[in-house]
Amino acid sequence: MKHSVKDIFVEGPIDPAFIGTSIAKHATRTDIGAHEIFLGQVRADVTPGLTRSHENASLRAGDPVGAGADPSQAQSAGGNVSAIEFTAYREMALERMTIIREEAFTKWPSMTCLHVHHSLGTIPAGQLCFMVFASAPHRLAAREAVAWVVDRIKAELPIFGKEILADSTHVWKRNG
Amino acid sequence: MNVLLFGLIAEKAGTDQVQVVVTSVRELRIALEQRIPELSVLSHAIAVDRVIVHHDMPLTGSEEIAVLPPFAGG
Repeated sequence: MKHSVKDIFVEGPIDPAFIGTSIAKHATRTDIGAHEIFLGQVRADVTPGLTRSHENASLRAGDPVGAGADPSQAQSAGGNVSAIEFTAYREMALERMTIIREEAFTKWPSMTCLHVHHSLGTIPAGQLCFMVFASAPHRLAAREAVAWVVDRIKAELPIFGKEILADSTHVWKRNG
Repeated sequence: MNVLLFGLIAEKAGTDQVQVVVTSVRELRIALEQRIPELSVLSHAIAVDRVIVHHDMPLTGSEEIAVLPPFAGG
């Protein structure tokens, strides 16, 4: 089964009502017996500010890009994250997502459908910014696929997050 | 050739694109560090035609080049 390139990006937060609508759209697919949904929400982290340390800039093959801390972050005194401003290298992100989607359908051939949405722009703390929604005849395929797809997206999609702090300074988020 | 910059790297460079004339990824890394000295202490990856490259390779000038800071999706 070949799945075309889909745009996963939405401007602004993901509306909980949209998630309800997405679920409702599956009512006609009576071969589905299980839905699994992961939702990412912007957390009001307290950033460590000056405690972040330097690291070597070079990346070895296989290193996750998100590993380690960053010296540029040391300018911030730390504070609560009030929002995350997401940007992305869209073309690469959508290419990677298409590959991940293909691999997911190969690994879990019984999976009926897979929907991914990620926010761009400024998302306030407490709002939803990420959704992975898989459906399958039985729960195991949907559950395993969602966990795997979430991890792959976090590691491989070139999405960047500027954490805006309450004092209007910022630090750059990194997965790791 | 045009090099796309993102996130923290674009912030440090003060622009989201720079022009370089290079014939390999090795030359590209040197040229970029001259243009953006902070790169030497910032974690980053180079993508050629939307794929991260870990080794040197020749560049013809027609490739899409990007400098990527750590990912933060999800």
